[in-house]
Formats: sequence, structure tokens, C-alpha cells
Amino acid sequence: MLRRVLIANRGEIALRVIRCCRELGIESVAVYSDVDAAAPHALAADRTVAIGPARASESYLSIHRIIDAALTSGADAIHPGYGFLSENAAFADACARAGLTFIGPPAEAIARLGSKIEARRLAAAAGVPTVPGETPTDQSDRGIRAAIDLVGLPALVKASAGGGGKGMRAIRDTAELEPAVQAARRESIAAFGDGTLYVERLLDRPRHIEVQIFADGHGNAVHLFERECSVQRRHQKVVEESPSPALRGALRARMTAAAVAVARQAGYRNAGTVEFLVDGDAFYFLEMNTRLQVEHPVTEQVTGCDLVRAQLLVASGDPLPWDQTAIVQRGHAIEARVYAEDPEHGFLPQAGTLLLYREPHLPGVRVDSGVVEGGSVPVFYDPLVAKVIASAETRALARARLVAALRQYPILGVRTNVSFLLRILEHPRFVSGDVDTAFLDREVAALAAEDEEMPPFLREVVTGAALLGARARGSEHSAMDHSVWDPWRT
Amino acid sequence: MAHVTAAGDGVYRVEVDGRIETVYVAGSAEDRWVFWNGRAFHLDARAQSASAGGRTHRAHGARRQLTAPMPATVIDVHVKPGDTIHKGQTVMLLEAMKMELPIRAMEDAVVAAVHCRKGDLVPGDAILVELE
Repeated sequence: MLRRVLIANRGEIALRVIRCCRELGIESVAVYSDVDAAAPHALAADRTVAIGPARASESYLSIHRIIDAALTSGADAIHPGYGFLSENAAFADACARAGLTFIGPPAEAIARLGSKIEARRLAAAAGVPTVPGETPTDQSDRGIRAAIDLVGLPALVKASAGGGGKGMRAIRDTAELEPAVQAARRESIAAFGDGTLYVERLLDRPRHIEVQIFADGHGNAVHLFERECSVQRRHQKVVEESPSPALRGALRARMTAAAVAVARQAGYRNAGTVEFLVDGDAFYFLEMNTRLQVEHPVTEQVTGCDLVRAQLLVASGDPLPWDQTAIVQRGHAIEARVYAEDPEHGFLPQAGTLLLYREPHLPGVRVDSGVVEGGSVPVFYDPLVAKVIASAETRALARARLVAALRQYPILGVRTNVSFLLRILEHPRFVSGDVDTAFLDREVAALAAEDEEMPPFLREVVTGAALLGARARGSEHSAMDHSVWDPWRT
Repeated sequence: MAHVTAAGDGVYRVEVDGRIETVYVAGSAEDRWVFWNGRAFHLDARAQSASAGGRTHRAHGARRQLTAPMPATVIDVHVKPGDTIHKGQTVMLLEAMKMELPIRAMEDAVVAAVHCRKGDLVPGDAILVELE
């Protein structure tokens, strides 16, 4: 069993891994940048190591600083979380060379699946269909243009090394081509340090459905069913659920079998996700994510399997803790991603101090968060505040539960997308489960509209509450005027 | 007048037409935040006095200047003083939180001054470009 694990990440996922280590009796080591010295993940771990300035490229993305931190803290393994270095084959390789266990797949599998062209070749070899597309060997603007001509419009240009919608542009018209290609290349270099672009045909109204797989070092590979992730804004997932309202028995069986076949073909180990685009009864391999996904909790809620615990066990050399026959989907789970962003103004990321922050506590509701009241959302990193996951016997009940939870989730001091999430969850198309990957982009204008005026009674509360404090209770007065926004209050 | 009872740190119970609502309040008198039933409101006295529009957002700055919506790195400047720009035109490209943020002209204008250069780290609300 692993003895001491360094978590090369921050925020909610670092906390998730730290807590799991504690359950298994493994010591945790957090790393933090200058702005994160008092961040929840740094305070939660058994040990901490400072790794440099706020800028991620010099801290959370610095391979040598992370490896040094692991060696000086005496860690024997590194959990990369998601984002940052989690899908970086050079990092997995550097871990191995330093004698550290990388909690994830072998470096060769990351490299093969991380290259979109290699991944497609691999899927085809496993007998799984793919969307028409290619990575041009000529990466100049002219080379990319030629590839787009071949694939046909509408086309999608994306970072070959990437994920999460960064370095990705849709092109519907040749006039948009040049600026779109250049922007995709710049974002790709900024986010992943690699400007190689991949071009593929854009399917018009597909669903995005992915299959969670898990493999160990003893020849076992299983799937943990699907996640429906069609609710995306510009290729960034916003609401995810399991099971998918679109899958029937036979299609589910074919897709899960295809996902396991891809994992076996890749010589995969540990947790991974095989993403598909689904169009009616046809499905196409999109890519394989060689890490734990942001949305892994919906799978955990419906299967009852702890994916992070299994990651630590498999990395320790243990066999998978479950047989395929023992894994079942039970009930329904829906996750909403709460971001510090302003939907009314182009979803601009927001940073600042959380003056008031109270998570909902309800039966069947799980909140995976990386912030606390009085803490801050720094400008340097992904603006994810928390994931709220509601589970229940049916989809309708899970949806109602998630709505109730978000209505009781005050986050003040930083703008968030909570009311936008509520409008999505109450949209007739979402209620009926009839969504595709373009749903949110089509409806975004209405869903992100400015909130109606503040109800009059709320204005009275603001003044009334102040009066109440001033008049009746001295302590209340101080609560209104000082401690409420005092960032040093515990 | 609604009847307001303090129910904890920043939490108030309000009786409205016989119904009890829970309301959360934080911030100072000039920068008040209120949450009720899944909706958050920001009453920013500074932004409101700066413009007649009521619920404005500081990120968008005043009419005659373009400001940084948040702390960001300048990755490209497309204009220089004297340039004529058109509504919707991208005058500058910023980067923050790993995403590109194009700064666009909100109306036709002539550039009076540019206050940053490629590579600069600009604070939130910094004036990037002044218009004539």
C-alpha cells in the first residue's frame, strides 16, 4: 500500500483526494502556490510544500517543482487530480524516473491517447467507430485550411494536446477560418504548451455520452456505466448525470463494451473515461480522458463505488475492488458545476472574497467544494467553486433535489452561475431529458438573462435588517456592519 | 413593512404576507450582497452612482474608456492613438484564467490614448484605452 501521496492539484479535487487518503491511512502532502498558502486544500493535508508563484506555469504546472516537492516530502506517489499535469505524459514519465508512483495510467497510454490522431487509430483498431477528422502534418495556417477542406464545414479546430474546451473553435464559414485557427493555436500553447491542432467534422446535434472505465495491473478492465454530459457551454460541461436519459439497454451495452475494448487496446491502467458522440443509435469515439473526471461523483452516486479509493488501491498494485457483475446503476444522480462567473456578462470569470458562503445540507445531496467562507477565489485558476450532486430514486426526484439544494446555497461576494444553473434545470428540454450538445449554446441568451428586479420585500430586508441591528441588539449591529464581511472571521 | 428577525450570522427570517422567507445578507452599505431563493443580488452603490443605469456592472467601465474586466495579461493591442474604431471591433486581447478575453469597442470612436502594452499585467478596472 502507498504510504504518502503528494496531490499535485488544488481546490475541490485536492480535498477529495486528501480525504480519501485519510480513510485509507495514507499520509497526504499538499502543494500550494503563493496565493494558496491559506487555501482549504493546503490546510487539510498532513504535510504541505510551497511550490512557487501564483502563475500556474511556475507552480502547479511545473514538473520539476512538483517532483522536487514529492522527493523532499518523502512521498512515494503523486495524484495529479484533473487539469494541470494530469494528462501530461512527460510528467508521468518524470515520476517514474524519480522513483515515484504516478496515480494514473502508464505514460505510454497517456501519450497515445493524448494524441487525437493516435487515439482514433487505436479506437479503430479496437473496432470502435470515430468521427471524420485529422491532425495535419503541415501545422501552418495553410495546412490547417487544407485539412478543413478535406473534413468539410462545419468543422471543429482543437488543441491536439488539450481538453476542457480550451484551444477549441468551431468554424462554420471560411471567413472565420484564419482568426479562429490562430486563436485556437494561441490558447492551446498558453494552456498546454503545445500548439498542435486537430481538425474534425462538427456533428450537428449529437449527445455527449461518456463511459467510465477502470483497469488494474492484473488484466482486469471494467466499465462503470455512462455519464450524460450534453449540457455544455462552448464545450465546457455544466450539468452531468447518470444514467443518460437517451440510452436504452442495447445501445448502452454496445457503448460500454466499446469503451472497455478501447481501454484494453491501449494497455490501460487506473481510471479513465471514453467519450462518445451519440446520434440516434449511432455512436462515435470522440476521445479518451486519461484521468479522473470532474464529473466522477455522478458515477460514484449511482454505482456506490469510490473511484478515488480504487485509484489509490490500483496504484498500490492491488486488483480492482469490484467485479463487472457486481457493478450496477441504481437510481439517478445529477451534478451541477458552480462557477465563479457572470452569466449576464459573457460568463466572465469572477474573482474575489467569499463574504458569505453556506453549503446546503440535505439528504441525497453531496457538495464537493474547494472554498470556505472568508476565503477567496483567485484569478489565476479555473473558477470552479463547487460541484453539487443530487441523487434519488428517479431522474425527476434527483432534479427536484438539485433545484432545492441550489435554492439554499448562498454564495455572496463573488458572482456565480447559480441562478443560471437553476434556469437550466427548470428548462422544459432539460426536464424532459431531451438535450444535445448545442442545447445550451442555443438557449444561452434566455438562460443567462439578467435576473428580474429584486423583489421589493428584499430591499426592505436590507434596510430593515440594518435598522434591527442598530435599534435592538448591539451584537446584531456589529454582525451587520463588521463581521459579516470580515475575511479573518473563522 | 416586512418583519425581519435575525436568525444567525448574516441570516434573516422575513415575514412577507404570512410566509417566512430566509434571506442572507453580507457586505458593507456601499457593497451589499443579498441572497434569497437561489438568486443573488449585488447592490453596488459605487457603480450605481457612476452611471444612471441602475444595476450596472463595473466590468464594463464608463462610456469614454475601455477598462479591464478583471486582472489579466495583455496578449495583443490592435490600436494606437488616432485610430478610428467601430462598434464591436476588438481593440485588445487579454488573457485571464487561461481564457482569452477580447476587449471590444462599445461604439464608434477615435482612440485618444492607449495605457498598456503587450505583456503587461493589468489590474481589474484598469483603464486600457481612452476614447475621444
